[in-house]
Amino acid sequence: MIEEPYRWVEAIANRREYVETQLAQGSPIAAVGYRDGILFLTIGRRSRQKIYEIYDRIAMGAIGHPGDIERLRLAAIELASTEGFTRSASDVSLRRLAHYSLSPVMKAAFEQVYGPPYLARLLFAEVGSSPKEDLFLRIDYDGSLTADGPVAQPRQRFAVLTGTNSSAELMEKFLQQNHVTDAALPDAIAVAADGWSVGRMGLGENAIKEMPDRDAIRKHRDEQLADSGVEAAVLERDAKSAIRYRTLSEEELHPHLQR
Amino acid sequence: MDKPPLALDPNFSGGSEDFPALLRRKGLLQNAPEITGASGGPSFVPTESTTILAFKFSGGVLVAGDRRATAGNTVVYDRADKVLEIDRHSIMAIAGVPATAWEMARVLEHSFQYFRRTQLQEMSVDGKVRALSKLLRDNFGFVMQGVGVVVPIFATYDSNSKPEARLYFYDAMGAQFEVTDYAATGSGSPAVRGILYYENTWGSKKLHDLNEEEAVAIALRALDTAAEADTATGGVDRTGKIFPLIKIVFRDGIVTLPEEKVARIFNDKVA
Repeated sequence: MIEEPYRWVEAIANRREYVETQLAQGSPIAAVGYRDGILFLTIGRRSRQKIYEIYDRIAMGAIGHPGDIERLRLAAIELASTEGFTRSASDVSLRRLAHYSLSPVMKAAFEQVYGPPYLARLLFAEVGSSPKEDLFLRIDYDGSLTADGPVAQPRQRFAVLTGTNSSAELMEKFLQQNHVTDAALPDAIAVAADGWSVGRMGLGENAIKEMPDRDAIRKHRDEQLADSGVEAAVLERDAKSAIRYRTLSEEELHPHLQR
Repeated sequence: MDKPPLALDPNFSGGSEDFPALLRRKGLLQNAPEITGASGGPSFVPTESTTILAFKFSGGVLVAGDRRATAGNTVVYDRADKVLEIDRHSIMAIAGVPATAWEMARVLEHSFQYFRRTQLQEMSVDGKVRALSKLLRDNFGFVMQGVGVVVPIFATYDSNSKPEARLYFYDAMGAQFEVTDYAATGSGSPAVRGILYYENTWGSKKLHDLNEEEAVAIALRALDTAAEADTATGGVDRTGKIFPLIKIVFRDGIVTLPEEKVARIFNDKVA
């Protein structure tokens, strides 16, 4: 029955609805550029890691089904590692990784309605040698790409990943108003955590529709921090070693989240 | 080759596959062919490099190598780097054929990173030591053909073990030998071992108790002595101002000694 074109369109639409529902509870991740690199931050249950190292200059955040995230993560690491091995680390590029490998695979899985789609939404960032070369890139479950960085006219030096469109819009709006490109790391941590809170408040049954005020954001953030963990990592532009990815410990993060 | 049990999708590997296996699956790494029967000897003379040494001193592990690469009687290169950083705490030093050794170092470096990234934990020291052993074993076919012999030293620092500084040398088949004090391989190594044994047993201080400057001086003296009798070892080139490459593994990472510092210690204590 799916051979008929409109049935196929219908099947895709159903599938889209199903995947969106599955992803709707995904807790946000914020990636923000700061003076010395890029910061990834999320708050949540400590049981599951959500921010990962992909290669020397590339990090990934993901929401969705752990099994699917894992397969995509391994594929990304495998592609980057073999490229870095056969050519050189500087030939590994997030743009190529996403455009030529991940996006087509995710699109194909999504549209082949007899097979399972990837229940995952991915956020990548690649730190360049100057802020202008930083790349933020989001791949959705259907393989569609949103990029901010050297490929197009960069609009903003941050990106968000969250369960629903309305939550993403609120988060982006908040970061547009509050994110400072050349902030120091402590300020970036505070802004990213606030941005996370805005995104989180935009999810679930009692989702907010309008931008909350500063006190509400702070109150929500402190409540969440009381019984959850902060997970964060940075890609440092001028790190001495080739590997720019570094996980931030909770001890390192907490002083900046008390303000 | 059998598929790893975790590979659920032919496009993607499972978590259990190690990096060399991934490279083989993609056709990027070949095992050396094993040749049976008598070998007729190599038809060409491969480039080789010698001599390397490593020992533990009060600050960490010092690893040093001369800079010469030779093919038979010809000096091919006088600035070869035989002391290679594999990760933040591991150094591999090589004696033997650089083409094979550098490739091994590259595979090893990527293996450790691949493991950390995919498995989300650092590979254990034993795992790292074993990974190099396996690469040597896979290369043994070339060794038997007389073209790819590599005899490395591996030095690392592991804050979870006692002792924290770990030092190994290997034979060409891949057997690893952990040493407590010092190791040397390559054509100039008999002289170096003699000096290190003497210093450690009857010297004014045991190698363990040396400070950094004294340790560097002994390493330079040992390499210079090796070069005195072995044409394949460069030692210290006084006219060309080429000094051995010296790296030290400390608790918090690896330091490459700047050439000026090596030159100063050489002039003060060796020349």
